Amino acid sequence: MLEVKNLVKAFGGLVANGDISFELQEGEVLGLIGPNGAGKSTLFNCIAGYYKPTAGKILFEGKDIAGWPPHLVTREGIARTFQGMKIMPNLTVEENVMIGAFCRTNERQVAKKEAREILNLMGLTEFGKELPSGLPISVQKRIELARAIATKPKLLMLDELAAGLNPLETKEIIRTLQRFKEERKLTLFLTEHVMEFIMTISERVIVMAAGKKIAEGRPEEVARQDKVVEAYLGERYAKGR
Amino acid sequence: MGQLLTDIFFFNDRPRFERVGFLIFILIILIFPWIVTSAYGRAVAIKFLLFALFGLGWNLIGGYGGQVDLGQAKNVGFGAYATALMIVWWKVPFWLTIIPGMIIAAAESFAIAYPMFRLKGHYFAIATLCVALVWKELFIFWDWTGGARGVEIPIRSGADFVYMQFNSPIYYHYFIFFLFLLQFFFMNWFRKSKLGYAVQAVRDNEEAAASLGINVYRTKVVNYTITGGLGALGGSFMAVYYLYIDPDAVMPLDLSILIAMTVMVGGAGSIWGPIIGAAILIPLDMYLGAWLGAQKRLGIDFMVYAVIMMVIAAKEPRGIWGIIERKIKKETR
Amino acid sequence: MELTAQLLVYGVLMGLIFALIALGLSLIFGVMNIVNFAHGEFLMMGMYIAYLLSTFLHLDPLISLPIAAGAGYLLGIGSYHILIHRILRGPMVAQLFGTFGLMLFLRYLAMYIFTPDVRSVKQGILVGKTLSMGWVNVDASKIFSAGVCLLAFAAIYWMIYRTKLGRGLRATSIDAEAAKYMGIDTKGMNALAWGIGGATVALAGALLAHFYYVTPTVGMLFTLIAFATVALGGFGSILGAFVAGIIIGLIMVISGQLVSELKFSFIYVVYFLVVVFRPRGLFGW
Repeated sequence: MLEVKNLVKAFGGLVANGDISFELQEGEVLGLIGPNGAGKSTLFNCIAGYYKPTAGKILFEGKDIAGWPPHLVTREGIARTFQGMKIMPNLTVEENVMIGAFCRTNERQVAKKEAREILNLMGLTEFGKELPSGLPISVQKRIELARAIATKPKLLMLDELAAGLNPLETKEIIRTLQRFKEERKLTLFLTEHVMEFIMTISERVIVMAAGKKIAEGRPEEVARQDKVVEAYLGERYAKGR
Repeated sequence: MGQLLTDIFFFNDRPRFERVGFLIFILIILIFPWIVTSAYGRAVAIKFLLFALFGLGWNLIGGYGGQVDLGQAKNVGFGAYATALMIVWWKVPFWLTIIPGMIIAAAESFAIAYPMFRLKGHYFAIATLCVALVWKELFIFWDWTGGARGVEIPIRSGADFVYMQFNSPIYYHYFIFFLFLLQFFFMNWFRKSKLGYAVQAVRDNEEAAASLGINVYRTKVVNYTITGGLGALGGSFMAVYYLYIDPDAVMPLDLSILIAMTVMVGGAGSIWGPIIGAAILIPLDMYLGAWLGAQKRLGIDFMVYAVIMMVIAAKEPRGIWGIIERKIKKETR
Repeated sequence: MELTAQLLVYGVLMGLIFALIALGLSLIFGVMNIVNFAHGEFLMMGMYIAYLLSTFLHLDPLISLPIAAGAGYLLGIGSYHILIHRILRGPMVAQLFGTFGLMLFLRYLAMYIFTPDVRSVKQGILVGKTLSMGWVNVDASKIFSAGVCLLAFAAIYWMIYRTKLGRGLRATSIDAEAAKYMGIDTKGMNALAWGIGGATVALAGALLAHFYYVTPTVGMLFTLIAFATVALGGFGSILGAFVAGIIIGLIMVISGQLVSELKFSFIYVVYFLVVVFRPRGLFGW
């Protein structure tokens, strides 16, 4: 479904993504892990259209979407959430989600119905008429998720969804996510620098360090590789094991 | 179709006190000229409705769009000049001059929006100001616009619904009220439309808006274009109401500022804000200004404005409507 | 030839004044990212001080220079403490309207006190004197003003790049949050920027009063000229304001010669083109 080929993104002389290639099958859950500064967010932003790749191809269902502006990428069927939350502060929760739903319809009533349905499934109905700024982080995270899902994506990219959540809230959001994945036939691509979350949900993971892909495979296999441990914990820890 | 009409004419999503308040407002405006019979009082009411109309239009870019545009007077000027010149040159009936005026203003806004929206914040605000000032200097410089002398529309005798000339201000009162309602219901539709939500999403967070499939740049350009067209509507009215226009009357910087201020004081980004702002500033301007002018104390009225502006900026950027809304929320809790 | 030389000299001299006017605006923007719409009104106040001292106390307008600068400093600091620091954290719209309110207030305060009448400084050693140098005749007051502008620029430049206070200002402009943690009194630095901004522009006003008429509404035009200058030089750049001031002076004088009715339009167009096509300006970061 998504195929990234030899993607390079450089900021001036600094290479944030160097020659990244990977594939993502329909219905799969792919995790992207790596320490801070590994280039995960840059990769995300390249796919979602926020950065223009320096070189390489991003094929989504056969179309090369590299360099497309973000709104066209979304309309093509790739939705995303943001690492630092970007909720519209002056619009109610329901309106936030409605704006997502407007991606696929021009009718307000249709968008509203869709938004209410998603909010209901998320357990957010009670907050519908409230402004998002006063709500707890766990609720705001779910609003972002709801908003992205409302654009009816085929591929959903989640940037650090679990950051700032406690274990209980993390579990809850994983359950919600899995339900949506089943019901709406979503393909998921997620990054996280906290391992636990990503290891439990992903079927396959990619590990990045210093702008390069260093490993790929099933979560439990990858976690055992020396170079992965090294990237996370430093060289000495990997060798002393 | 039924849904469209509902979206235009109903406020089901707003609390009841707002709907009742709006009904009372309509009633007051309807009976106003029969209660207040002084020419001055009626003139105040007409100017209030005119600025409420201007405010509603500017609210699109300044309130819902969150971009400070300090050049709305150029659009007022385009509307006023289109109407006045078409009537003087070709004797075109007034009603047929409104749309061309709006189209000219919208077209200019569209053309200028293209480079303009590479700018943000202060840069954008100052650029709008500069563009409006250049247009004003050009209108003074050119001969075909009448230059600094302006344009005079020949006076007709008796009531004339083709050229909208009347002896009694009552006609103008209902006429501007009609234009006001047109724009008001347009705004009521707009704020609930897909475009309206896109504009607000872009105001609140451009990156998030783009991630939801909104073309940020296009949304801004379209919004600015519509704002331009709406500004011209009031300008057309000014031409037939005053029957004489010149660049200093219909395109000055002060007009741009007053329009923006009306919305800021009343409450930007709310449908009631411009009405509240105009209801406070215009009577203040006309009564205080006239009274102080008679005392030969120029300037105090604007100093009062300025203080209101600074207090609003420092204490309550959401304007008077923001204060009202918060009070109501507290009480219902 | 004579005309060209005359225009060039005149343009450069006017440009130096524009540069001094723009200096404060650029400094304030650089330090705290806020645009002062009342900048021209500070200038207007400096002009009225020169006018008052000359007309009623029969002091030479030269003596009014330090007085105007001092008053401008106080006005700048006062504005910061009373208004600006309250709107700094608000949304951009509130900032804009805050300084806009300040502008209206000062403008109409002047209207109330002085009436809209056009006034000018009539006495003074330099008023009305011209120097003749070959082809070129120049007002003595303009030459003198240009000299004062150069000195003021040098002084401010020295202050910002060679003193401890200047280092505090620069630190605040680069990263106010970090500067605060380093123990720099950022609020004091902001106030200082407003003080210096007010002092330099009021000084420019007292100089300008030698050869330019004074009205309560004179400020807006110079605010816009200053915006154009600062945009051209790069927002926050001191050196940029200097060079851009001279360029703007030349543009205005030359375009005024070509189409005098539109001479200000040329400056507005310059602003527009610069911010759209080269938002960093000539020397911006």
